[in-house]
Amino acid sequence: MAYQPPKQVIVLPQTQQLKACTTIIRDKNTQRADFIFYSDRIIRILVEEGLNHLPVVEKTVVTPTGKEFHGIDFQGRICGVSIMRAGESMEQGLRDVCRSVRIGKILIQRDEETALPKLYYAKFPPDIASRFCLLLDPMLATGGSAIKAIETLIDYGVAEERILFLNLISCPEGIAAVVAKFPAMKIVTAEIDAGLDEKLYIDPGLGDFGCRYFGTDK
Amino acid sequence: MKSKLGNHVIAGEGRPPWYRSDGQNCDCYIVGIAGGSASGKTSVAQRIIKNLNVPWVVLLSMDSFYKDLTAEEVEIAHRNDWDFDSPNSYDYDLLLETVTKLKEGKQVDVPIYDFETHKRYPHKTMRRYVQKDANHLVPNKVNTVYGANVIIFEGIFGLYDKKVLEMMDLKVFVDTDVDICLARRIKRDVAERGFDVTGVLTLYQRFVKPSYDTYVYPTKKNADVVIPRGLENLVAIDLLTKHIQRQLQERKMQSRWDMARICPPHELPSNVVGLHTIIRDIETSRHDFIFYADRLATLVIERALNELPYEPRVVETPTKKTVHGLGLKANIAGVSILRAGGTMENGLRRVIRDAVIGKILIQTDPNNGEPQLHYCKLPPTIREANTFIFLMDAVVGTGAAGLMAIRVLLDHAVPENRIVFLCFLAAPQGLHTISRAFPRVRIVTSYVDPVLNPDTLYLEPGLGNFGDRYFGTEHE
Repeated sequence: MAYQPPKQVIVLPQTQQLKACTTIIRDKNTQRADFIFYSDRIIRILVEEGLNHLPVVEKTVVTPTGKEFHGIDFQGRICGVSIMRAGESMEQGLRDVCRSVRIGKILIQRDEETALPKLYYAKFPPDIASRFCLLLDPMLATGGSAIKAIETLIDYGVAEERILFLNLISCPEGIAAVVAKFPAMKIVTAEIDAGLDEKLYIDPGLGDFGCRYFGTDK
Repeated sequence: MKSKLGNHVIAGEGRPPWYRSDGQNCDCYIVGIAGGSASGKTSVAQRIIKNLNVPWVVLLSMDSFYKDLTAEEVEIAHRNDWDFDSPNSYDYDLLLETVTKLKEGKQVDVPIYDFETHKRYPHKTMRRYVQKDANHLVPNKVNTVYGANVIIFEGIFGLYDKKVLEMMDLKVFVDTDVDICLARRIKRDVAERGFDVTGVLTLYQRFVKPSYDTYVYPTKKNADVVIPRGLENLVAIDLLTKHIQRQLQERKMQSRWDMARICPPHELPSNVVGLHTIIRDIETSRHDFIFYADRLATLVIERALNELPYEPRVVETPTKKTVHGLGLKANIAGVSILRAGGTMENGLRRVIRDAVIGKILIQTDPNNGEPQLHYCKLPPTIREANTFIFLMDAVVGTGAAGLMAIRVLLDHAVPENRIVFLCFLAAPQGLHTISRAFPRVRIVTSYVDPVLNPDTLYLEPGLGNFGDRYFGTEHE
């Protein structure tokens, strides 16, 4: 039976053109320019979908024809938080959708001694506790650094249910780990892969996203 | 009966609201007008059109449906010995087919009969030019008509064929005194066609009068209304017009619009509604308008990509894993309907970085609301077998500009099923008009507004003039 993600997970509609985009970014022969272009496209769709899960209020505006349009407005303000380095690759896509959005940063590295993720750096907008946070990391593998990042946000006063974690490729192991720890937050993901391999890489995945995006591979 | 009057599309002046404001099925209304030669059928038809004052009334002449003549028959015709007044000289099957298609709102190529060659155009071949004789090519004349609201069909045998009669909503016989008809005919043929009086009278005695007595006059009993004295009878014509107007009005009440495929606003995702809330707001600055319009365009383009064919593609990841993915099995060419359609180009380039973009400039004639083609530059790739066209417009109101743009693409040999029509906002009747005329064109829009204001032609609530707001050319 096919994997059924928990209800906290929003998987993008599995359309053919999304599949075509992920096929391109998974292909090892894809040039960097294409990798960036198609990644940005998927990220924009991710952010757009993420916005659909924020609370809205009704708003009526008057159009140039003098008629009323009964629309909606997003309730509250948002900010982005990228998990460095790979998460920064999602900032362009975020800005394409949310023009002058504030973006916080978190640097998490694996501690050489304990092999556990360790927070090295965090810089957030001062009013982050009052905002909805779009947490950015392109790959959700074991979930170790994501959990550390979410813990940090909660330390800064962000409510768990106000966090939306956006990623391109995830796997059941990472989803299970994050959801078990933070059941009130949501994950928006483009595709869920089969699982982790023996090296704890996502299988099939796409290699190191940050390296491919920023051109530091090989 | 050798009138060279072709079929022409006559638009009413000014007032445009033939388009149903709530977008129902627009089966067109068919009026058949018969009567003797020179009885004033055409004049009556034109008077009705003028009185009706609605756009897209098609005047269809029975002349278009003369059968092709063989070489020998052409000889006879050139000696004035051919009986054009016989009911057998018409192709009723083609007539029925044409009227049926028009009634269904489909586009149809109405033939044009050439009185020199006695051949109908278009020829069966789809070539742009056809051989007239050994040395001459003539344009393959054709009059393409679609989306008509009212069709007025006139000809001496307009009320003759039973099946065609069944298609008609109103049947009119113009009963002008035969002496007056003959007098008019002599005047016309001498003045306009270089006949002498004797020649006219000979034809009249040999063909016109016997045919009228035997075939034409008896069709009077098929008519709903008989107009004595033809064009002079203004009272009758005006009564007729009022009746047609009332019928059109009643049809507007019967809603048959199939909303099945239109997502009601409350089921739209909140990002789309949120974007619309911003771009519709009169208070929104141009800076914001452009940003959010671009975002919305990107969503529309992404959605449109789902309409294209994909094929399996197997790739290997940098971690040496095999992925069974998909690849787009098509090329995409954008074509924007200027000016407002150009606002979607940014969105297109965000999704298809190096998309080739063609342009069609269509402007609405302020005098009659009809679209006019001003400029057309299309990329050569549009003819390639795997190229799909993203035809882009900002707002679809009546659909008239869209129809014209699609027609332009078809005329450039783009198959209908490879056109995807994209817009930000549409009125149901525009969508309906386009999908009826071109059922294989796919339409992608982000929102459907309920009302098309018949006077301003703006959608309501709408967002005003999209192009003006995007390009900053609105008046203060």
